Amino acid sequence: MIAPFYELGFIGEGASLAVAALIGIAFGWVLEQSGMGSANKLAGQFYFRDLTVFKVMFTAILTAMLGIFWLGWLGFVDVSRIYVPETFLLPQLAGGIVFGAGFAVAGLCPGTSCVSAATGRLDGVAVMGGMFAGVLATGFLFDRISAFYSSTARGPLTLPDLLGVPYGVVVSGIVLIALGSFRLSEALERRSALVR
Amino acid sequence: VTAPKYLAAAALALGALATIAGSPRVHQNARLDVSRLAQVVEREEDHVTALELAAWIRDQRDDVRIIDVRDSADFEAYHIPKAERIALDELVSTPFRASETIVLYSDGGAHAAQAWVFLRALGYEKVYFLRGGLYEWLDDVMNPSIAADASDSAKAEFERVSEVSRYFGGVPRTGDAASSLPSLPVPAARESGSTKAAVARVRGRGC
Repeated sequence: MIAPFYELGFIGEGASLAVAALIGIAFGWVLEQSGMGSANKLAGQFYFRDLTVFKVMFTAILTAMLGIFWLGWLGFVDVSRIYVPETFLLPQLAGGIVFGAGFAVAGLCPGTSCVSAATGRLDGVAVMGGMFAGVLATGFLFDRISAFYSSTARGPLTLPDLLGVPYGVVVSGIVLIALGSFRLSEALERRSALVR
Repeated sequence: VTAPKYLAAAALALGALATIAGSPRVHQNARLDVSRLAQVVEREEDHVTALELAAWIRDQRDDVRIIDVRDSADFEAYHIPKAERIALDELVSTPFRASETIVLYSDGGAHAAQAWVFLRALGYEKVYFLRGGLYEWLDDVMNPSIAADASDSAKAEFERVSEVSRYFGGVPRTGDAASSLPSLPVPAARESGSTKAAVARVRGRGC
């Protein structure tokens, strides 16, 4: 049995949803445990006070990347069957700016807003409300924005294909970037603690 | 303090080894449970008939993807409604959803049956091929015929087939009408190994 289990038909839709629910609960649990339900903590990264979000997210990327590479190498995962989201250059650039602005203003991103709301924080509830309002508005206006939505399509891009560099070299490059940036972010945190 | 350092060292080591390990994709050879596939073939669960496929298309089953593995010239000349063309070499790198039912066809049945093995080896479960290929489609769906002296039950069955056939613009024939059409090109097409003549005949009807 090799992964991805749902894509390769080893598990059905029900089992897939059950696994998704378990992973979702675990994800929410870990986010809350690492303090990411608090907008104060999250906003700290924009002032280089507290780079926990950056470190947690980059650690997750690093762990998943190494896991997929080595499980694929050992034959437990069919890497070619993992879904790679397609790139739409301008719409995703616009979306990224809106997302980043919202993150800085609210101090929460979609996942952490759910965690924040689940622990009874009102700002989390407000962000979730805004998120659903935005989703609904996009749905109603979709006919008007659909041309932009699907413009500048680049298909599924991966760093090895884009850079023309072997997969393993990209993996080791990302590891070096991650470890370097962890060190840099801890230095920034120490400096801002001294300033205060 | 030491745990993060150990983890960093482990990441560094795994990253460094990755540069010399090569791509994970080369280890993704398809796997084949040959005895299981043999049972599927034995139980005749590997293929569909042209009439079954026609019923699926008529019922607008949106989970069914019909894949034509012939070349583009043949595809342009004629293809089964709703079919999409994917050449054999592209087929193996085309991602399908596990929930999709894939029906493969070629002129006869050989290429589609080979494609069936490839997709089963890649782990897709709901894969079928059109047993007699496009020939069977042209014979059974586009040009069904029945002898005038057929039994009543055969005639009742033929009426059901005719209904499906007419949906696709086919022309069901009964009795002498069928045999009085010596130019019906399907047997000739089988011998020459090409569907072109049969296709020309079907297209000539303007459907």
